[in-house]
Amino acid sequence: MRKKRFICIALILAILSTSIFAAGQKEPTKTTEEKTKITFSINKTPILTSDFWNIVSSRYMEQNPNVVIENVGQPSSNIMHRDFLKTLLATNQFPDVMVMASPGDFVGSGALMPLPVEKMPYLKDTSIGKIDGENYVAVYKIQVGGFWYNRTAFENLGLDAPKTYDELINISKTIKKNNLTPVSMGLKDGWAHSILASMICSADILSEDPDWGLKRNRNEVKFSDRNFVRSIEKYQELTSIYSNSDSASVSYAQQLELFFSGKALMIPMGSWIQGTEATINPDFEVGFFPVPSDMNADSIAVWANEGLAIYADTKYPEQCLDFIRFFFEDELWYGQFLQTEMLFSGSQKEIPYKMSPLRKEVGAKFEALNNVENWFDMTGDAALLPGLQAYFNKMTQRITMGSDVKSELKKFDAEWDFVNSNM
Amino acid sequence: MKNKLSKYDAAFLAPGLIVFTVFLLIPLTLSFVYSFTNWNGFGSTMKNVGFRNYKMLLTDTYFWVAFKTTIILTLITAIVGNCLGIILAAIIEPKSKVNKFAKTMIFIPAILSGVVVSFIWSYMTQTNGGIINTMLAWVRIPAIDLYASNGSMTVMVSLVIAWAALGFYTTVYIANISNISEEIYEAAEIDGASPKKIFFSITVPLLQPAIIINVTTAIIWGLKQYDFVKVMIPGTVQTVAVYAVERAFEYNMFGYSSAIIVTLLVFTLLISVLQIQVNRYKEIDY
Repeated sequence: MRKKRFICIALILAILSTSIFAAGQKEPTKTTEEKTKITFSINKTPILTSDFWNIVSSRYMEQNPNVVIENVGQPSSNIMHRDFLKTLLATNQFPDVMVMASPGDFVGSGALMPLPVEKMPYLKDTSIGKIDGENYVAVYKIQVGGFWYNRTAFENLGLDAPKTYDELINISKTIKKNNLTPVSMGLKDGWAHSILASMICSADILSEDPDWGLKRNRNEVKFSDRNFVRSIEKYQELTSIYSNSDSASVSYAQQLELFFSGKALMIPMGSWIQGTEATINPDFEVGFFPVPSDMNADSIAVWANEGLAIYADTKYPEQCLDFIRFFFEDELWYGQFLQTEMLFSGSQKEIPYKMSPLRKEVGAKFEALNNVENWFDMTGDAALLPGLQAYFNKMTQRITMGSDVKSELKKFDAEWDFVNSNM
Repeated sequence: MKNKLSKYDAAFLAPGLIVFTVFLLIPLTLSFVYSFTNWNGFGSTMKNVGFRNYKMLLTDTYFWVAFKTTIILTLITAIVGNCLGIILAAIIEPKSKVNKFAKTMIFIPAILSGVVVSFIWSYMTQTNGGIINTMLAWVRIPAIDLYASNGSMTVMVSLVIAWAALGFYTTVYIANISNISEEIYEAAEIDGASPKKIFFSITVPLLQPAIIINVTTAIIWGLKQYDFVKVMIPGTVQTVAVYAVERAFEYNMFGYSSAIIVTLLVFTLLISVLQIQVNRYKEIDY
């Protein structure tokens, strides 16, 4: 009897320990001793799926049979890639190469390798996003932002794309008089609404003073300064008077639906919206205009904050650099990548892909207008301090719901002081 | 009577103890240690900052706003959930077949994940197009914007949490009601007590042990609330748990975040101990 009990206990323990060890161990890879294994952290999105990212890894491995690229992505869609990377770093599993949009969060920990940009002639612009004079990200895509509008409805109402902020308000008034919603807005997901606030700041502030972010980080200017207050008051006017009144319960997907169903005639968003436009194929023509300032509409908000970075302690820095080179130079892959969201290339060489008429229109504006960093995503030494993006998102939610702009911006300054004192 | 632990007892205890130690005791101890540092969440560099994080907490307005929201949410969920639970348990006749079905239906939300329930209610409570406002429109009642202010959002999410937990509370109350002796009810009826009098003078007082269990559970659940708040409403409304996660992952302030969590833990423990002590002196028996 005792023997049976002992065997029973031994079996239970064996099963338990096997499950624990099996869960903790990685699946054996096919890597042989002579093969170099590189881990590549991808940013999975509904459009850039795991399978999509596999294309570049597979194509690189085909041409470099001595290298194995293992893609690692967020386990769930509700985990931000940045947070996933932080978890990997904290658990000593930081990838060799990674998609990176917030190098400022990692440079302080010495996790990223300064890129030898002199060896990367294929990069279009290495002047952007420098932190203490070093490049940490090979920017692979450039996106622009502004108002996407229902051109068909605009023509029916006798409206034209505005050239100043006052014209934008007059247009909004006309649309409202016709019982339509001027601006599609959604606060629920916590980020889509703040794009408008950010683009207004770009048009009003960064177009006048491109170093504003740098000055803020040196505490030479403040959020409660008059020009910043004016920009956020405009945001409040547009979102509280000329947007859908139910914006607090509207998600990003619903915000898009409001616009593409023709219920709202304008949506402030980045150029990734073209991917949705191509999928939905609405029964009206979509146009684009940049966010106008008080005086003109001569600048366009640009995102150039995402690209590839290398782990500072990688065993294979040369191989990682070669993979990045391949990413930019493999025209078949890179063209496909750019086409997903009708992106602008981060490569010196023009990469051809099939562009929609809307993309051509946006491209012409991108070439003609003054390119200004999107305020929220300022890069390098001008980037917002850690946490302040999240704060800005929440603050602009409160402002949309009627909170006083001046007192909110004073609190924003206090939050900056709080974060800065803890760095 | 043997008090000594045999090797078999130890072997059977070991898996539970290992899980408890690895997933609760060690993280808890580490959180306590980190709360006295300026750790940024990754890397091995951290500095002992003494009580600085706790001092910061005292003057952090956003923490106190989140704390107030957490208390309001906890009170609403505990009161509404338990009052409805007692009423439903009193209504449901344990032996009826119809009521078996009702019990099953009431319990379903308790087995669904918080995220699933949150998404369902998010769609139902939408100002435009949500089923609640659509139904109100059928009877010509104007739409209610539950997302109009932080206050209305707090009440809405609290009620959803109470709804999700209702099945659990009701089941506990039903089990306790079925243990109350029929003789007490019969005696009360013979003495001419009304159903209302019976409910408030017999059922409710004799449910006290169940009320303690359910209210304690509701308070603990309310104080650590994260998923419903995160999914259902925009970031303008935060509980302490949501705020702590944000300070950790958005601001890279894991040390400060640990101080928030340790404070919440101590507060939860204090409330639970206090509640049990207060109720210990009020046990009722007929």
